[in-house]
Amino acid sequence: MAPPTAAASISPLPPLHPDLCQRAWASVPHPTLPLLATPHATSVAVFSLATLSKHSVLTGGHARSVRAATWQPGLAPGKLRLATGSFDATAGLWSWDSGMEREEWEFNLVLEGHENEVKGVAFSPSGQYLATCSRDKSVWIWEDVGVAGGEEEGDDGGEWETVAVLNEHEGDVKAIAWCPDVPGRTGHGRSSADVLASASYDNTVRTWREDSDGEWVCVSVLAGHDATVWGLQWEPKPKDDKTFPRLLTFSADATIRVWTLRQDDEDEEAEKQEASSNAFRPAWGGIPNTMRRELREEWDCTAILPKAHTREVYSATWSADSGLVASAGSDGIIALYGEGSPDGDIGMASSTDPGTNGWRLLATVADGHGPYEINHITWCKRFDAGTERKGEEEMLITTGDDGVIRPWQVRTS
Amino acid sequence: MQKSDLDNENPTILNVSQLPSREQKKAIARHGPDSSYDHLLFSRYHSSDASSVLEDDEEYEDVFDDALDQQEIYDLISTVSDPEHPHTLGELNVVRLPDIHLTPPQGDPRGLATVLVELTPTINHCSLATIIGLAVRFRLEQALPPNYRIDVRMKEGTHAQDEQVNKQLADKERVAAALENDSLQSVVNTMLKTCVV
Repeated sequence: MAPPTAAASISPLPPLHPDLCQRAWASVPHPTLPLLATPHATSVAVFSLATLSKHSVLTGGHARSVRAATWQPGLAPGKLRLATGSFDATAGLWSWDSGMEREEWEFNLVLEGHENEVKGVAFSPSGQYLATCSRDKSVWIWEDVGVAGGEEEGDDGGEWETVAVLNEHEGDVKAIAWCPDVPGRTGHGRSSADVLASASYDNTVRTWREDSDGEWVCVSVLAGHDATVWGLQWEPKPKDDKTFPRLLTFSADATIRVWTLRQDDEDEEAEKQEASSNAFRPAWGGIPNTMRRELREEWDCTAILPKAHTREVYSATWSADSGLVASAGSDGIIALYGEGSPDGDIGMASSTDPGTNGWRLLATVADGHGPYEINHITWCKRFDAGTERKGEEEMLITTGDDGVIRPWQVRTS
Repeated sequence: MQKSDLDNENPTILNVSQLPSREQKKAIARHGPDSSYDHLLFSRYHSSDASSVLEDDEEYEDVFDDALDQQEIYDLISTVSDPEHPHTLGELNVVRLPDIHLTPPQGDPRGLATVLVELTPTINHCSLATIIGLAVRFRLEQALPPNYRIDVRMKEGTHAQDEQVNKQLADKERVAAALENDSLQSVVNTMLKTCVV
């Protein structure tokens, strides 16, 4: 948890070079290396965070705009793999091998199956699974079966098979995210470790787990936002090893919400309550009766971040180092929040309006990309000459409709 | 398209003289779009160096100093053609001057401004409402300075699926993807032909 922070400032650093001069959707940092992938039009620009300039380009794999990109974690040194999701309804896998004669991105394979635009792509923490989501309302989970047989072959993109098609959202699935591999993730001890969460045009967030029969099922519905949920972030570093990571969701309703899983004794309490009384029925709409009871999860909205935005919030990011959250969206505002101790006035809080619950607005920047909308914001390590703590100091990076990728220095006191 | 296929076979058509206009500007004989927006129209995303718009301070300021009013917004979109009738949205009274709501920038002229356009489709279950809304939004996105946020909605009570249509039109990602769809793009381009005479 973040130490109580009194004040903070956000100041601009020089933008990455060159400008892309057209709408860019996101900038995704590599989990360990100083690289940043930015999808725009039908290609992806990769920037070096050491030189703050373009490193390479992935092009020729998609017929329409690339909406999303993600780095595969845990590969051998010298190898890079990027997954892309495109409006052309496919996902792509690309690889880079620094041992090759010609150092360039190779388009390895295309994952077909979605009926409409692919909006999100995400690797599970081990890299075993790739999830994709689409306007066709579905989430697909793909498994790399190439690695199971032992040695992975050569430079190819692996061998990916569909292990699940999840069809319970009632609208476009805008984004997906895997729960990070933290000790609290397996605290439950009642099902598989991997947990996927999805955000949708149907205003809800759902979480998904694999049951004992190997079937992926929806285990909870998080209903609270009044408009499209643009995306979600897992808490990267819970306060202790027993706590399950919380979820941060952000929406076209201009709010950002924090959700907490009801754990252990509270779970039993909820089941008793449900058994004894049918009067209390949370919004279970869409969860099939066949769903195993023991897998069901209850999530409560435990905070609504202080209001900083006037229009849709397209992106938010949660720091593993500082616990600080930053957000950006249509209004061009960049906002920074910190979590202090709860206000204590628990009597005021309710499941529909938990209040800010200790979260405070620390700083805002107006017109972060001039008059343009900001599509994405992310925490990212600094590797450039301007920092004395390379690979440690954190900065924010925003990506806008102006095609500018803008780093920001954050100072707290 | 055969006549019997039309959603509304006999729409009410307004005479050109009945359309709202600004008296003092009439003498200049406006043909289609305001040519003063052309540099924005063609430079926003398509110029080889879009940042030139921002660097050329004089031009930039001109755009912002010349605050837009409802009539100018009306002029930009009333000339969009209906997808099934040989008339413009102004003539069909789908676009109406009183239904254009403009919130100019507060204080700083470069601050955010919002334009809300409420459309009145010719019939209640107009299957083409979404396409009309898409064309109007696309037209305004191209023609207005980047500090204008554009909301296009169906006027309350005019359309069977109001909320669904409104939600789609408000969704930046869906709009972007729709405009990459070849068939939708060609319909929208045809509708906008009457704007770039």
